[in-house]
Formats: sequence, structure tokens, C-alpha cells
Amino acid sequence: MSTRSMLGLFQEPEPAADAMDGLKEAGFELGSFDVLTGVPYPEGAFGEHVPQHRLFRFPVFGAIIGFTLAIFLTAVTQLAYPVVTGGKPILSLFAMLIIMYEMTMLAAVISSVVGIIFESRLPNMKPGIYDPRITEGWIGVVVTFDDDSRIADAESVFNKAGALEIKHAS
Amino acid sequence: MQQRRPLDQVYTNRKLLNGQLDTPRWWLPTVSILGVLVLIGIGVIAIMVNKGLGVTGLSRPVFWGLFITTFVFWVGISHAGIMISAILRLTQAEWRRPVTRAAELLTVFSLLTALVFPLIHAGRPWRIAYWITPYDLGRGIYPNIRSPLIWDPVAIGTYLTGSTLFLYVALLPDLGNLRDRTTGWRNSLYTVLALGWRGNPRQWKLQTVGGILLSALMLPIFVSVHSIVSWDFAVVPAVEGWHSTIFAPYFVIGAIHSGVSAVVTMMALMRWLWKWDDFIRPEHFDALARLLIVVATAWLGFTFLELIFAVYGQDAPEIALREMQMFQWPWNMLFIIFLLCAYLIPVPMWLFKRVRTNIALMFWTSILVNIGMWLERFLIIVPGLSRRTPFVYVWDSYRPSAVEWTILIWSFCWVTFLMLLFSKFFPLVPLFEQKESQVFTDDVMIGRARVPAIIREAD
Amino acid sequence: MASEVVATGQVAGHHALPAQIDADVVARELVATTMGASRRFKAIAWTLGILSIAGIVALVLKWIDQSDDSTRWGYVAALVTFLLSVTGGAPMVAMAPVFAKANWVRPVTRIAAMFSFAGVVTVIMLIPLVALLPPLVTEGARRRTIWFEAPDYSPHFWSTLGLVLLLFTGLALFYSAAIPDFASMRDHSTGWRQRWGKKLARGWVGTNAQWRTLRMRIGMFGTFYFLILVFVNFLITTDFGQSLVPGWRDAIFPMYHTISSLQAGVAGVVVALWAARRYMHLEKYVHVDAFWSLGRLLFALTLLWVYFFYSSFIVFWWGRSATDIATLDLLIKGPMMYVFIAGMLLIWFVPWWILIWNKVRRSVNGMAIGAAVILVGVLLDRIRIFVPAWSVPSDQIHERWLTKIPGTVYPDLFDILIMAGGISLAVLIIMLMTRVIPVLSVWQVQEFNLLAKPIKYMRGHATLIAKPD
Repeated sequence: MSTRSMLGLFQEPEPAADAMDGLKEAGFELGSFDVLTGVPYPEGAFGEHVPQHRLFRFPVFGAIIGFTLAIFLTAVTQLAYPVVTGGKPILSLFAMLIIMYEMTMLAAVISSVVGIIFESRLPNMKPGIYDPRITEGWIGVVVTFDDDSRIADAESVFNKAGALEIKHAS
Repeated sequence: MQQRRPLDQVYTNRKLLNGQLDTPRWWLPTVSILGVLVLIGIGVIAIMVNKGLGVTGLSRPVFWGLFITTFVFWVGISHAGIMISAILRLTQAEWRRPVTRAAELLTVFSLLTALVFPLIHAGRPWRIAYWITPYDLGRGIYPNIRSPLIWDPVAIGTYLTGSTLFLYVALLPDLGNLRDRTTGWRNSLYTVLALGWRGNPRQWKLQTVGGILLSALMLPIFVSVHSIVSWDFAVVPAVEGWHSTIFAPYFVIGAIHSGVSAVVTMMALMRWLWKWDDFIRPEHFDALARLLIVVATAWLGFTFLELIFAVYGQDAPEIALREMQMFQWPWNMLFIIFLLCAYLIPVPMWLFKRVRTNIALMFWTSILVNIGMWLERFLIIVPGLSRRTPFVYVWDSYRPSAVEWTILIWSFCWVTFLMLLFSKFFPLVPLFEQKESQVFTDDVMIGRARVPAIIREAD
Repeated sequence: MASEVVATGQVAGHHALPAQIDADVVARELVATTMGASRRFKAIAWTLGILSIAGIVALVLKWIDQSDDSTRWGYVAALVTFLLSVTGGAPMVAMAPVFAKANWVRPVTRIAAMFSFAGVVTVIMLIPLVALLPPLVTEGARRRTIWFEAPDYSPHFWSTLGLVLLLFTGLALFYSAAIPDFASMRDHSTGWRQRWGKKLARGWVGTNAQWRTLRMRIGMFGTFYFLILVFVNFLITTDFGQSLVPGWRDAIFPMYHTISSLQAGVAGVVVALWAARRYMHLEKYVHVDAFWSLGRLLFALTLLWVYFFYSSFIVFWWGRSATDIATLDLLIKGPMMYVFIAGMLLIWFVPWWILIWNKVRRSVNGMAIGAAVILVGVLLDRIRIFVPAWSVPSDQIHERWLTKIPGTVYPDLFDILIMAGGISLAVLIIMLMTRVIPVLSVWQVQEFNLLAKPIKYMRGHATLIAKPD
């Protein structure tokens, strides 16, 4: 038994939403079908499963790491090479703060970008069934299943909703 | 509020990818000429590194001249990107959409250019490596983190890295689009760069939430960068005209003024060169000009405070400096040009809607602003150093040499060259944002009036 | 894409707009809130009234007792600048819809504009301070001031004029936005309210021309107000702060003061809105959405505070010239160090950690706590700045920098009574205003309902916000 996926292509968002409804009614599991668009639509517009994410944890971890590194870098290097300049203390907190701030923010940004990519489930070099017309405004509804007997179910949902084209891949 | 103009997605793709999918006729000659100029500039830099800083006009007591002015200028321009992209994203200004990418790009390239100046200004650029980074552990000598000259590279490095990543993340959906429109090696390139983008709700959601998160993170960095650049000057009590507490926000608001003006210049060029009349429309210039009126006026207020508190102290040297800066030849001429260009000519013009929606006028006034803002930095940096002070036995005014002027011109060619090169491979207007604005706008009927409206997610 | 407006109140999702309310219901219900007063309201009003009278009496007594010693007047100066910050900053919230075309703020503008009335207290409290300002010229020498060659009465006259101008512009802004509501009072209330409503509405019937003029007036007064606010902050903070301390040259200080004034103003609006919503039962009209948006604004202003503070601090700390060191010794490390630390915590650190959470900004009570903390923080910040500044004896004013840091000045009984009285009077004035005119702007609530509609967007829900020019 192999995993199969099907892609129904629609020109308008409304029939695509119908197809999503149809798949839900036909008993496909909630995570097994998805909608592909070339434009972000308001959340839940297709009645899709609203994705959960943990993006906000990433910058926090990044910031902690950056801050720790910055303390180390600023404090330890100054203690290792203690030359008084400008009459300021060796451990000049208010100068160190500036570097700590920048490094904290840098690490937070880097980790956020890692987070965005990771939480988007990218990179995904085998993205599966797709159609270039999706970036031209077509809407794709993709469904994945193991059971070959469900092909007909999915096809009938797509056809009923008015799919212009149906693609198969295994 | 802008008029809503429904645009087909296929049309949007075709128009906005016209730089990548086919090459405009002017592109190759322009890039070639710029390339030659860039090479000449690099040659001049090489000569300067070889001969030493003696080929510049820098001499005691003026050691900071055109290079540092231009450094501050380009860091200022770099504030365009986050201003447009982050602040306007967070405040949900619809009209930002066609501009964000180009503004972020300007940030990245102008920062790259800005970095060159302190580097070559050091005379022996390679020495900067151990001056700013804690490497070569064997020697046990480390950077002096109490110096603002160390804060600078840290801040700019953070801003550059952050902006580049921000740019890349926001580019992902458009890379997917390019992948779908290309064949051959370009297809392979975009396939790799797009990381397998498909456009499912999860990816879109992360694109939106991530955009807001990165904006919120980049914003404090953006404010810190020019503040730290300003502290290169402001913390020093020894030079009159520099030791002022207002410098940080004054520099930041000035940077926004010049950065947003540079975006206006660039938008006009983009509209003319790529014929994007449907996407970059007069109402975008109108909105930017309104923003600029506010920013410029705030900037003028800061300038006023800076000046008034300089003379407020009633210290003789400070007053002498201000007198020189404003009333002595040639500084007075520069000061007048500066005020005219940075505020007195453009802002009153922008008060009229006819000017705000006239793209040619907006183009020229925005260039004026940047001439003025360059002069502003010059007038802050040089007079303070060149004023005759007690105990300085060598004293001379500063005249930039041909080498310095060439390198200044090089920097403009270099930024333009990079932008045009980028435009060959990546779209300058974010396609998905453009299309998104179509999804998220609507008209409502209030009584008999058709009123443009926006759709907000009920989050 | 067609979007269909959901019928009243059928929207799912916790953050969607609540039910739409008919315009005439809005007018009737909001006008009704001005009538009568609960026992609690009366009790609070009487307490505040007594405190206010005690405060004014204390101010007079202090004048009789201590008018020869300006170093004792720091707490009054701190109170003036604190009240200026809150009552001057708050009306800026009322201008947001004009400038940013933000819809959420429409129901909030009235309460923000009401703060202008409390500005009267600032003017009253300023009177003794003006009299106590040191002369511009002593023994032929002119002290450091922004009034370089101006006549001797300059700071006294112009600063007072600035403050009075701010007050009147604020009132003009309030009135010009209130005309349609006076018309509602005329149409929906009885007795003196109706009579006054009729007089003040000045024949408002809501013609197109009247609406156009109204918008133009709000825009104009709003712009003026902001410019005057910045200017008054500049005048008051230099004349009543910076210029009293030799060697204190801080170009950012007026802007620092303005920023924290906006911060205090928004915080004041949040607290007032919270109270109005809770005690006048306006849950239907004041949505969490408003708090959520005010929260973001307050958070941004809180971060700006620390930015402005640090921008100034680092220049002094790094510079280490004699004037730099003296300034830090007086204002930060000096007599008010603990107040400074407490102020810094309450104006920045604590609210930062409170307001950073989405959950807090999406809640009504959480926001009120954050805002209240900020208000206390701003008061402490003003105390740590203006009390040491006033405590410098005026015979030192011509020195190049402060050579002898004065000791801590503790508040005496007068100061405590004056501060309690001044703040009480300001609160009382705002409370009494709610009996005169609806605390939420009727026409702006109606406009809000007209322009923002919950819609069904295909299978999801969204809000459609119209953006007319």
C-alpha cells in the first residue's frame, strides 16, 4: 500500500472551499488535505485546519543564547586585557549593555528566521504534488491517503466542486 | 485611501517579473556602464590603499571628512527599509505593499556600501580585523568595547544580517513563483532558493506572523543603529558641536527623512524603467510624501533643539563654532544649501497634492532632500574639527581631494549597480504582497457611497 | 471578492467585534450615562473635593510660609510637570483617528479629550512657581536660558502663556469634537442638560457642510495642539528645570519629557477608560480591541522612554567632563537615587514585562494595571528630576557646573497635601465632566459601528473596515 496524493485545481476560491468541505464530509482525516494558494487568504477562509506553531519560542531561546554570549564576550575579553581607557572602569556596564543589546537582538533575529523556516516545514526538497498555475491565481486542493479505494471518493468530491483539473501522484 | 483596481494574477506575474523573465533593452548597456564605473572606483580605492591616506585631503586636525560623512549618509539611507517595511507593516498601512522589497533591498545594499567607508578610511583595512573582532587569542589583546567605534560594527553587523535575512524570508513566496515561471538552470536555482515553497496555509501563516515578529525585532535594531553611529560623535566632549544628548534621535529621524526620500527616488525610477504604472501609483507617492512632511518637520524640530541647546550653554568655543558653521564662508553657503534642500524647498512643495501626485516632481524633490541630508552630516562632522582651537599648532581647513570625490561617486554607482543586478534575478516589487492587497481589500456600500475597505482577520 | 455582512451578533471567535448596535440606541444609552450619579460616585467625588480644597489651602499656606525659599518648591514643580504630562499627553489619543485613520480609537477619543479640562490644575499650580523663578539677569550677568537677549519677564510670561494656550487649544479640540454630542444631548436628555446641549450644539443638525467643517476643525486643532504640546514641554522643562541647574545642558530633555508625557497620557486614558467601562457599564461600547491597540501604543512608548533616557545618559556617562559628571551626580546618583531607581522600574521595566504579553494587552484589567504602574513611574520620574533641580540654591546659578550637590529634599506636609490635592482635583474634574457630556463620543461610536463590520469571509470570519477619506 503506497501513499497517494491528488491535487484538484480550481480557478476560484469558492469552489475550492467547497472541495475542502466535501473532503471533510467524505471522511478524510483533518490533516490529510490542504489548500495551496498563490496568495495568503484570511485565516480559515477555506475552512482549513488552522495551523498551530511555536514560532515565538525561537526568538526567546535565541535572545538568551545571544545575551549569554555577549556577557561572555564583553566581560571576559575586558578582564583578559585590562587596559583602562577614557577613565572608565574595566567592566563598563553601560558600554557593555550596548554590545549585549545588539548581540541579543542579532541572535533573536537569526533564531526567528530559523524558526520561520522550520515552522513552515521548509526546506522541503520533495514538496510533492503541485502545479505552477497556483502562483497564477489557481487554487489547489491536495489530499493524501494510503488507501487506493479512496481515489474515487476524492475524485468525486473534486468533480462535484467543479475542479478544472485533477492530478495524481503516488 | 487608494483606489482599488482589480488586477489579474497572471497580469501581475507578467508585469512584475518582466525584469527576470525578459531583459529590458536598457538593462545591459546601463549595467555595463555602471560596471565600468564601479571598476574605476575600485581601482581608485586600490591606489589609495597602496599609496596611503596622503592622497586624500585629510590632514591635521580634520581626520574625519568625506569618507565618514558618506558613511553616515549611507547608514542613514539604510533606514528606509525597516521604516517602510517594519513600521508600516506593524501599523498595517496598506500602501506600503509595492515598496517594501525595494526599501529592504536599499537597506542591505546601502549598509554594504556604508561599511566600505570606515574600512578604507582606516588606511590599512586588514588591520580592522583584530581591531574589532576578538580573534588571535594568542596575543591576548582584545577590542576595547568601551569605544563607540566598536559599538558601530556590532550594530551595523546586526542590522545588515537581520535585514538580509528579513529580505530573504519575505522573498520565499516570490521565489516559488519564479520557480514556476522558469526553465533550465534558472529553474534549478529558484527551486533551491525557494526551499520547496508551496503556499499552503501553514506557510502563509508563518509568512504573516514571521513578518510581524521580524518587524518587531528589527525595529529596535533599526533605532539603535543610527543612534550608535551618532554616539561616534556625541559622546566626545572634546569637539564642539558633537557633545549633545539629542544626537541619537536626531540622527535616527534624519536617517528616516533621507531614507524614505531615497525610496521615493527609487520608486519613481522603478515606475519609469520597468513601466510599473499599475503597481506604483501616484497615491503611493502621495502617502509617502505625507509621511515625509511629518518626518521632515520632526527632524526640523530636532535640528532646532540641537542648535538652541548648543548656544544655550553660553560656552565661548561652542558659540564660535556655530558662528563659523552658519555665518562664515564657505560653511554658510553649505548651510543655506543644506536648509533649502533638506526642508525649505521640498516640504512646502509637498503640502500640495498636485506635487505629491506628480511623480517627476517627487523624484526631484526627494533627490534634493538627500543632497541636503548629505550636507547636514558634512556640516556636523567637518566644521567641529576644522575650527581653530588652542594648543593645536597645525591648523588647516579641509578640502576633499579628487580621490575622495571619486570614491563618493563610486558609492552611488555601486549601489545602483547592485540594485540592477538584483533586479535581473529577483522581483523588486513583492508579488505576493501585491496580490494579497487584492484579497484583503473590498468595497462596501455605505448608503449610496462606495467606500474602499480593508479586511482584517479576526485573530 | 464579495463579502457578506454577518447578521447582528452571530460572529464566532473570541476577538471578533461584538454585536452591532443601532445608532439611536447608542445615542439614548450614552446620553443616559450622564444623568444621575450613584452613591459610590458621589462619595468618591466628595472625598476628592475635600482633598482638592485641602491641597489648595496647603498651596496658599506654603506660599505664605516658604515663598522666600525656592529650594522648597521642587515637589510642586514635580506635580506641575506630572499633571502637564498626563493631561497634556492624553488628548493626543483623541487625534489618532484623524492622523492614522485608526478605527479602534473612535470610541476612546472623548475621554482622552476630557483630560484637557484637568489641565486647569496645572495652570493653578504653576502660579507660585512662576513667581519663584530666579531673574534672568543678576548683577549684570545673564544666566543660562533659552531667552537669550529677551526682556526680563520672558520665561514668566511666555511659559505661562504657553501653558494657557495649551489648555485652550485642548478645550477647543474637545468642543469642536463634541458639538454633535451636544446635539444628541439636546435631542435625548432633559432639564439643564437639554438646555445647555441646545446652546452648545449651535444649531447642529448634521448637514454635509457641518460634518466637513467638523472634521476640518478637529484636524486643525489637533495639529495645533500637538505643536503647542511639544513647544510647551520645551518651555516648561527648560524654564522650570534645566535652566535652574548650572551646567545641565541636555538637548534631548524636552523631547524626553514629551515622550514620557505621551506615555503618561496614554496610560491615563487607559486607566480612565477602564474605570468608565467598569463603573458606567460600557462593556458594550468599549471593546477589548481598544485596549489591545492602546496596549501596543503604550508598549512602544515605554520602549521609547528607555531609548530617550539612555541616549541622554550615555552621552553624560561617556563624556565625563565636569558638567557631565555634575549632571549625573545631581539627577541620577545624587539626592534622589532611590526614587530614580524606583521610577525607572515603574516607568519602564515593570510595564515592559507586563505589556510584552499578548494576553495582557488583550485584557482589560491587565492593561489597567500596566497603565497605573506607568502613571506612578512617571510621577516618581518627575520627582527625581524636578525636586533636585529646584533644590539648587539660586545663588549658584551662574557657575559653570554644579560644584556642591544639594542634599535630599523630603516632602513636608504641605507638599503631600498639595500633591494629593492637585491629583484629586484633576481626577474630580474629569469625573464631573462625565456628568456633563457622554464619556464616549456618541457620534464616533456610531461612526465606528458604521465603518467596521464583522463579515463572513468564505468559510472564515473577518472584520471589514471601511476607510473613507
